[in-house]
Amino acid sequence: MDWQALILSLELAAVTLAVLLPMGLMLARWLAYTAFAGKAWIEALVVLPLVLPPTVLGYYLLVSMGANSPIGRWAGEHLGLQLTFNFAGLVLASVIFNIPFMVQPVQRAFEAIPRQLGEAAAVSGLSAWQTFWRIELPLAWPGILSAMVLTFVHTLGEFGVVLMVGGSIPGETRTIAIAIYDRVQAFDLASADRMALLLLLLSLGAVAASFFASARLAVRR
Amino acid sequence: MTGGVTPDDRALVVDIAQTQPMPLAGGFRCEAGELLALVGPSGAGKTSMLRVLAGLMRPASGRVRVGSETWCDSAAHVFLPPQRRHVGLVFQNYALMPHLDAVHNVALALLHLGRPQRLARARHWLDHVQLTAQQQARRPADLSGGQQQRVAVARALAREPRLLLLDEPFSAVDQMSRRSLYRLLADLRRDLHIPIVLVTHDLQEARLLADRLVVMDGGQVLQQGPPDTIHRAPRNARVADLVGIQNRLRGQWIGPGPETGRGQLRWVVEGGDPGAGPVLCVRDKGKLPAGQRVTWVIPGDAITLLDHAPDRPAPGEWAVQVTDARYLGEITLATLAVERLPGAELTLTLAGPQRRTLQPGARLGVRLDLDLVHVMPLRS
Repeated sequence: MDWQALILSLELAAVTLAVLLPMGLMLARWLAYTAFAGKAWIEALVVLPLVLPPTVLGYYLLVSMGANSPIGRWAGEHLGLQLTFNFAGLVLASVIFNIPFMVQPVQRAFEAIPRQLGEAAAVSGLSAWQTFWRIELPLAWPGILSAMVLTFVHTLGEFGVVLMVGGSIPGETRTIAIAIYDRVQAFDLASADRMALLLLLLSLGAVAASFFASARLAVRR
Repeated sequence: MTGGVTPDDRALVVDIAQTQPMPLAGGFRCEAGELLALVGPSGAGKTSMLRVLAGLMRPASGRVRVGSETWCDSAAHVFLPPQRRHVGLVFQNYALMPHLDAVHNVALALLHLGRPQRLARARHWLDHVQLTAQQQARRPADLSGGQQQRVAVARALAREPRLLLLDEPFSAVDQMSRRSLYRLLADLRRDLHIPIVLVTHDLQEARLLADRLVVMDGGQVLQQGPPDTIHRAPRNARVADLVGIQNRLRGQWIGPGPETGRGQLRWVVEGGDPGAGPVLCVRDKGKLPAGQRVTWVIPGDAITLLDHAPDRPAPGEWAVQVTDARYLGEITLATLAVERLPGAELTLTLAGPQRRTLQPGARLGVRLDLDLVHVMPLRS
């Protein structure tokens, strides 16, 4: 059992979630409430990581964030950051890869809130921020919760993108999914077996728990 | 139903003119303590007008004033958002927050107060609309339609509004709750002394509750005034149609006479011989050219049923035959064919013992009070 890889995976999932949650909420709410020309393109872009092979996504991330790419150079000069084959690069890739998992359920949750409730809130004197905080967030909460769980679990199990962008550096980019792959390559099936089972149980438990919680939290209308 | 309202400085004054994105035009005034009903078919612009008043829709051009406050004045680029208008709005489907109990729904309109005070005020308003303590602790899904309605009213009142707006407030509640809500509304009018605007497509409800009607169609205000005035003298055939006047008849204006203030109207049946109908001597305002084709209406109050066909009919009297009689609980709706003019029909609603004579096939008589006939030019 590669504990270091497990802890790295948990860290990556937590940081990805922390970065993606505020961004995802804003993007999802914007998509849910705004109609504009070309919205379908933005929505398609959001879903793209879901349908693209992870290796393709990973390849483009590697090319665009590498030390010789404009983004890579800029990050190196201004932030002192290297974006490939390290943890920061993994976070960035992971955030992009998880956009559909965060944005889609949250967008659906915001869309399900009747427009009239916002109008009723405005007429009752609530500012946009008060309406978001007191009305929208509680009503969208089951959707947000399931998006958070999906994002977290999905990051734990991420493989293709991580391998392309991060490689397999112990303690830096070797996540549990990569560790399982390495163990299988080394014919250490016993270790692979334990880690795979752990990941399976963890994922199943988290998703099931989020479904139970959503059912309890859902407000009858 | 006129509440003895005197004009003061708390009245609502509206004047809107817009063609895009949808037409909305017209103005009206509603005094404090007065209940004004916006009536018209669906799509007439009633709800849009209400949204303009609430600040949920910005009109292309127009003005909204309540008392000394200007809420909207497109010429001066003034448009207050709903948050800055003291307006109470009861939505058609209540728009209560499903995740909050009744008290917290009402407290939402009181966020400017501290928490304990806020909840106390919310309970006060819910007591005011007669919700029990147990009901106040329930979420909307656990309340009946009528109770949800009361919570919505309490939330609107908690703002201490200077204008109360009600969008089809009774459409989704049953007949029993509706009656008690009518009573609640009557009490509110007495206590609040602010302008109240009600949107409804139910004309009976509008006549029952409102001091003034504003008839809308296709985004335009067609006519306004006290319900009985509009009913007696609709401006045109469309208004007569919209306010549900049953006896809308065709005719041709012959001209003034025989005495001053009188004119002669020939009753014409569509598709029949234009010269065959009887000539009626009605009031004349001198506005119609001779020969003008017209629509004329006669209110139900002006039709007296005679229990036999007159042998020598006096002016305004006709022998009729009952062609249809529908028994609608407390009233009967009857169709009468006028013998003198084949194809001419009158509709009559009748309550009381006299309606027992309304058997299909029966020969009876009617006397029309021709002073109440209202003549309008037929739009070509």
